[in-house]
Amino acid sequence: MKNYKKLFPIFKNNPTLHYLDSAATSLKPQVVLDKMMDYYQNYSANIHRGLYPISEKATTEYEQVRNKVAKFIGAKFEGEIIFTGGTTASINMVARSWGENNLVKGDEIVVTVAEHHSNFVPWQQLAKRKSLKLRVTSYELEITKNTKLLAINHVSNVLGTVNNIKEIIKKAREINPNICVVVDGAQAVAHMPVNVTDLDCDFYAFSGHKMYGPTGVGVLYAKANRQLEMKPDNFGGGMIKEVTTETSTWAEGPEKFEAGTPPIGEVIGLGAAVDFINEIGMKNIMAHEKELTDYLIESILKYGRIKILGLGISDNRLGVVSMYSDDKQMGTSHDFSDILGRKFNVAVRAGHHCAMPLHTKFGVETGTTRASIGIYNDKNDIDELIKGLIYAKDIFNCIEEGDKKFYG
Amino acid sequence: MDDLYKEIILDHYQHPNHLGKIVGGVEVGEVNMSCGDKLKISVKIKDGVIIDAKFEGGGCAISMAAVDILLDKVIGMKLVDVKKMSGNEIEKMMGVELTPSRKKCAYLGLEVLKKL
Ligand SMILES: Cc1ncc(COP(=O)(O)O)c(C=O)c1O
Repeated sequence: MKNYKKLFPIFKNNPTLHYLDSAATSLKPQVVLDKMMDYYQNYSANIHRGLYPISEKATTEYEQVRNKVAKFIGAKFEGEIIFTGGTTASINMVARSWGENNLVKGDEIVVTVAEHHSNFVPWQQLAKRKSLKLRVTSYELEITKNTKLLAINHVSNVLGTVNNIKEIIKKAREINPNICVVVDGAQAVAHMPVNVTDLDCDFYAFSGHKMYGPTGVGVLYAKANRQLEMKPDNFGGGMIKEVTTETSTWAEGPEKFEAGTPPIGEVIGLGAAVDFINEIGMKNIMAHEKELTDYLIESILKYGRIKILGLGISDNRLGVVSMYSDDKQMGTSHDFSDILGRKFNVAVRAGHHCAMPLHTKFGVETGTTRASIGIYNDKNDIDELIKGLIYAKDIFNCIEEGDKKFYG
Repeated sequence: MDDLYKEIILDHYQHPNHLGKIVGGVEVGEVNMSCGDKLKISVKIKDGVIIDAKFEGGGCAISMAAVDILLDKVIGMKLVDVKKMSGNEIEKMMGVELTPSRKKCAYLGLEVLKKL
């Protein structure tokens, strides 16, 4: 198994870190940090309308990323790429700029129960503001002619399940050809190939920081014809064509939705993250992560006493694995993640992972412990996780004979 | 022995003294935390003094142990004095130092009592 840890400086500074929290945010490779440092040290000018060399350079670098991202997710035009602050900002933009202006009283929005709060609450609130119907579904989506918008995750940040978006959209359009489909791709883009044109979605949202890029930047893919239906709701510099004291007109294309100075260094860093992923190759990333995911699931099942929410080993899932114990004497996810972090330097996440409706549906109100895989992980990280879980059993006096061979 | 999950904490978590609910003539405080912990405390008060207290709920070992330890302490105390208690005192009773995220767990019980 190839070792990618050396590409990430954090492991030089924290050699014992076992980072299994990539679903929350991924670590940053040196090439991304270097690229951002280069901007800040050598050409940190504002973009657009600076006619001097370093501003021209900053503008070129910034706009190149738009092109790079468009290619990365298979958009037809680079103008379909809007830079935002992250997935959350992207989805809120769809709700405010598209939903607010294209949905009317009585229209229905369908969301799945497995959505992250950021692909749920904006719709819930939009529905309240505009008297829309909001339907939350579990298994069958049940699209009707009245369903005007479907909001769905590409990969669940709790279950790791990959939704067959292409098939779902195809079926939905058979019922309502004009349905607007918003896909939350936050957990997909760094771990599997994505082609928005092939999926035929209307909007696709993701974050830079979950794909080896910096925080503070994200993307909203807005299909050309949908983008024309959007109205800006964030106003200021950079997004206008002309301003008089009476009225204003808007710039064309994605700039219309990028008011103010954008996160320039972060966008440039995001470009380096795309290069980083392309250089390793999505095939290699998938093979590496699949091997580790299978090993992780196998190890958890061998350990016993802990259940996995969602699928076991499967081709329809990625390396996001949430687990819990039914045993009321064994603590909750907060105890587990505290023990794992404090004693084993294993970083996992505790709680609801911003998906309370899903945890409620599964009856695990106290939350789950989530381990998630990135390109820098190896089997040793997973062995340490299991050691930590056995130590936790020991603490809660639940140690069993078979555990001894793992841990002594 | 783990430096956080000490015997006293495990003992109160796995074998609590005050689990349950008092019926009749009691006051109840309740919180639902964003972490998923839920806690309801019922108390019997006479002349401003807590004469009995019980809790129901579910949560992590630290929050549940801390409530049980807290109820040991407050039975017999005046409610006004309980309301003056600080989080630090809970840590002292538990005999551990907590990280900021675990303080939230441990202070849950006191938060509920302060709602009474
Ligand atoms: C599926 C999913 N959607 C949305 C988000 C929100 O992303 P961000 O916090 O970067 O806006 C996350 C990550 O937290 C996520 O996992």
